[in-house]
Amino acid sequence: MRLVDLRKHYKRGSEIIRALDGVTLDIDKGEFVAVVGRSGSGKTTMLDLIGLLLRPTSGLLLIDDIDTTKLPDRELAHMRAQKVGFVFQEYNLLSGLNVLENVMLPLRYSTTRAGGRERALELLERVDLTDRIKHRPSELSGGQQQRVAIARSMINTPSLILLDEPTGAVDTETAEQLVMLLRRLNKEDQVTIVVVTHDLDIAAQTSRNIRLKDGKVLADERVGSASVA
Amino acid sequence: MELLRNIGRRKLRSALTISGIVIGVLALTTMGAIAENFNALLDGGVKYFSSNVQVGPPDGQSASLLPIAKIDEIKQVEGVATAFPSYTFTAKPGAVQAVSFGFPDLIIAGDPAENDWSVLKTTVAQGHLLDPSSTGHVVLGSTIDKEFKKKVGDTIDLPVRPSDAKPDFVNHTFTVVGILNPTLTAPDTFAYMTTADGQMLLKDSLPISIRNQVDVSQITEAIDVYAKPGTSISGLDSIADRINGQVSGVKATRPSVIVNSFKSGGAIFTAITTAAALLALVIGGLSVVNTMFMAVAERVREIGLKKAVGATTRNIMGEFLLEATLIGAIGGLIGYGLGVIITVVANALTAPGTSTLFLITLRLSLFALGFAVALGAVAGILPAFRAARLDPVTALRNE
Repeated sequence: MRLVDLRKHYKRGSEIIRALDGVTLDIDKGEFVAVVGRSGSGKTTMLDLIGLLLRPTSGLLLIDDIDTTKLPDRELAHMRAQKVGFVFQEYNLLSGLNVLENVMLPLRYSTTRAGGRERALELLERVDLTDRIKHRPSELSGGQQQRVAIARSMINTPSLILLDEPTGAVDTETAEQLVMLLRRLNKEDQVTIVVVTHDLDIAAQTSRNIRLKDGKVLADERVGSASVA
Repeated sequence: MELLRNIGRRKLRSALTISGIVIGVLALTTMGAIAENFNALLDGGVKYFSSNVQVGPPDGQSASLLPIAKIDEIKQVEGVATAFPSYTFTAKPGAVQAVSFGFPDLIIAGDPAENDWSVLKTTVAQGHLLDPSSTGHVVLGSTIDKEFKKKVGDTIDLPVRPSDAKPDFVNHTFTVVGILNPTLTAPDTFAYMTTADGQMLLKDSLPISIRNQVDVSQITEAIDVYAKPGTSISGLDSIADRINGQVSGVKATRPSVIVNSFKSGGAIFTAITTAAALLALVIGGLSVVNTMFMAVAERVREIGLKKAVGATTRNIMGEFLLEATLIGAIGGLIGYGLGVIITVVANALTAPGTSTLFLITLRLSLFALGFAVALGAVAGILPAFRAARLDPVTALRNE
């Protein structure tokens, strides 16, 4: 994935908000990247742009050598379905669906549905929720719900998983377990993971930290400690 | 399945919305069934009167009596294929028939061969049609038969003696030789007999002072004139004009005049009943719009998530449209079902011999159900459009 002078500016009245202001960087396949920075630094905007939920004001965003800034909405939706998995702080599971149905939700909008149920069951086994497949989200703990969300993000075998403050709503121990799970998935599936977090302990367990400030890259560091326990 | 769960999420609200559609479709079904029943009656009239020319006495003549020799004169008119004498008597003299959706019970006397010429054919369910040379026989329509509970071989006194009959009231005993299949229109309340018996009843109906001075075999009340089969209504109009021009002492009515009066009566009735029911349905539709807008407002994050995992604008639009359509379909099915039950029960409770009030037709069923489904879909368009146009980033972080 390559970001070239990527900018996202908003107008608020006569003022221009430079949420992301000329970011250029490459993220290689299989990297486990943490994007850190204070509130308003542009972390979430960068995640939304990489996740193709937002269109940049200018610049290039190439995913698998495809310039996504030129794609129509429909193509972007298809790319989101095929190449990107999302995990949010508030889990965003659908209360009307059970665990298995939530994991299988993205298949509904994907062109490759064959074997989806088997893959969902396999993913739920990997996140250790096999005994909860018929439960509703409201019957699960925060950590369990986030594991369901992680399984859902992987159902279409994406090349990229984006996580927005995934441990923000769980306790420290659960957060640790979630990070361990992510590291395992990253290693086993060679899936690229980009996690937005303000938790430096979590950032320390990734392979690369990108620090943003005022919409610009302040630092881009390799972290050597990443290893699966 | 998820659609049903979505509808079931807010049970009371969904139930109230569906109730709105139910009431609308119920009104449409029952009122439409009344209109269909009325239209079936009128259609019979349209069918019958568009196949012949009715000839009666000229305007201003008080008694409906014509020399039977006029039939031969009329047969000479260009385009006329045949003509039959016709006699009509009330079957229940003195009975009060205030407002009714059916035809009154009538005795129709004439030549049974006329059935071969009429577009409105009658067929027997039991027994047989009249033999032209027979006397003392009667064929009953399905409704009048139920009223008097007769079967083939029974006897019936016609006209029915009123409770306050005058001493000079005369009626005769007839043997039921046939019972007709239902036609949903005029023949159902008619008792048919031959020309000879009709002339006998005509004689009975004359004032005593002239009764024995008139040779009723030379008199008819009206003449039904037929052209060759397939003649258009304008062709029949021309024949009526020629009869009026060439045959004195008679008045032929243009079939188009009679047919148009039937049609306009039916159209007004259908318009009134359908408009009332559609009004109820539109109110139901507005409640669907309201419900779906609330559903969109409540499910903003869900919409955002679905977009994030790959749903296109069209996917989201389709899901909400389908949900609104399902609400319409459920309401439509329940409303239609209740409507059918009410009309069937009401028809079953109708006194024997009285014309029923409701008629559920395939056309009405398809319209009621189709309209409910279409209403749900149309009502869902705006909310679905709003859902589909939501910005995923804003929607995902909606509180």
